[in-house]
Amino acid sequence: MARTLAMFTDVSLCIGCRACQVACKQWNQLAPEEPEWTGSYQNHQHFTDKSYRLVRFFEEPDDKVGVRWHMMSDVCKHCAQAGCLEACPTGAIYRTEFGTVNINQDICNGCRYCVSACPFGVVAFNHDTGTATKCTFCNDRIHNGLGTACAKACPTQSIRFGYRDELAALARKRVEELQKQGYKDAQLYGEDQNGPLGGLNAFFLITGKPSIYGLPANPKLPQRNVFVDSLLSIGSAIAVGIGAVVAFRSRGGKGES
Amino acid sequence: MEPGLLKSADWPLLIDVYFFLGGIAGGAFVIATIANLFGSERYKSVVRVGYYVALLAVIPAPILLIVDLGIPTRFLHMLMVPKPSTAIGAGALTLGPFHLKPLSPMSAGAWALLVFSGCAFLAALDVLLEQRGGRGFPALRMVIGLIGSVFGLFLAAYPGVLLGASARPLFVNGHWLGALFLAVGASTGAAMIALVLAVTSGERRDALGALMRTVAVALVVQAIALVLFVVTVKMSGSVGISRALAPLLSGEYSLTFWLGAVLVGLVVPLALQFAGGGLRRASAGITALVAILVLVGGFVIKYVLIAAGQAT
Repeated sequence: MARTLAMFTDVSLCIGCRACQVACKQWNQLAPEEPEWTGSYQNHQHFTDKSYRLVRFFEEPDDKVGVRWHMMSDVCKHCAQAGCLEACPTGAIYRTEFGTVNINQDICNGCRYCVSACPFGVVAFNHDTGTATKCTFCNDRIHNGLGTACAKACPTQSIRFGYRDELAALARKRVEELQKQGYKDAQLYGEDQNGPLGGLNAFFLITGKPSIYGLPANPKLPQRNVFVDSLLSIGSAIAVGIGAVVAFRSRGGKGES
Repeated sequence: MEPGLLKSADWPLLIDVYFFLGGIAGGAFVIATIANLFGSERYKSVVRVGYYVALLAVIPAPILLIVDLGIPTRFLHMLMVPKPSTAIGAGALTLGPFHLKPLSPMSAGAWALLVFSGCAFLAALDVLLEQRGGRGFPALRMVIGLIGSVFGLFLAAYPGVLLGASARPLFVNGHWLGALFLAVGASTGAAMIALVLAVTSGERRDALGALMRTVAVALVVQAIALVLFVVTVKMSGSVGISRALAPLLSGEYSLTFWLGAVLVGLVVPLALQFAGGGLRRASAGITALVAILVLVGGFVIKYVLIAAGQAT
């Protein structure tokens, strides 16, 4: 296993220019889409099969300044415990030697289970190819010594690419700095490898509660349910089974008909 | 998370039909096996019809699944790929080109469907041989019955576990979908056998009574699992959980749910059975009516849960 790679997205530096979104579309040769009117500069509303990076715009009501405007370049989190990867029945979704999560387009058969299993709503179904698609962490670039296209294009270094341990140290320092400057809500999201989903390999610095950014406060691996649900199913099977055995052993009415 | 930011697999009606047929197949197979092992000669018809129903219900299953795929020609990837790696999930098992992911209910379900289909075919074949005047293979039928029953129960229950292992707010916060789907499989499987027997030969009152008692037990388990599902979802306290439950209980799908799944599928058949004495000596007419209601309710409950879960 090579050293784990990561992307660190610092929303306090994001200016909402969407250069990352464009760079992603260009490098990955993603087809153009009809624009969507979302009420802000955000386009599209959600990740699509042809938009792997998405700059989200959020408005937070604030007593002092009226409205605080948040911009965040969102992307697949490449979770250390990934719901899509565990759900995939074909093995098309795999973990690379860099710790990123990728969908092998030659294996995927388009069952769409991963789409519903992602706790962040990242994976999208492409009706043209019949497969599931998402951010590849620029798989072709990182295997050739290049960083991701979005990080390369970002003019403010809001998106950084590098080794996870180095980026995590940088991120923790940045939080301290911001808190000193008075941004009391500055916090990291997904940096903690002991935290939810074993940490995210694309983690974020946010300057407010996760809910402001549409992020779940405590994302969970959907497959954590499999064990308990299976046990309860076995319990149900035993109850029904015993009932059926009794039903066939006992004679219902008196006498044969 | 804002539930609106999550995505849905948008599984169409085909998948609901598959879950319905898979439940009938698994349920009918298990009941036929129980009738074979524990029932007396009187229940021969249940064994015969049960194994036939299991086979006929499972035959369309793979077709429905394959048609729904984005790339249907790649259906075999569910079981095998040229060079499976172990980087495809926790506890992934590989053997040659084959792979199995224990944490992915869909992966396990694909294997269960394969093994169960084989058992259903052999059991139906044995029953056919016997019916044609042959002696059949009682010992073999017993072994196939037991193996097939394990996979039949799996086939009936796994869609519920599969839904629970997704990120959809309605599914992920309750733990009882697998238990519920299993009970629905048993009730619809027994109902299908009863319907066939009631329509083709109204005189087998012993068999119909035993099947109706089985249906009653399964319906009670079904009702308990449904209540526990709704309660655990409600009590999970997740963000936006009331919004996730609303389409089912009071919104878009509530009429279908209360009328189709609860009233037609649970309350009326149970009331008919307890009030009409169908549990003791069932008349063909009442049995057929109850069976049809249970089958309709069994489909509706699966359909409405999936629709409501995908909507939020």
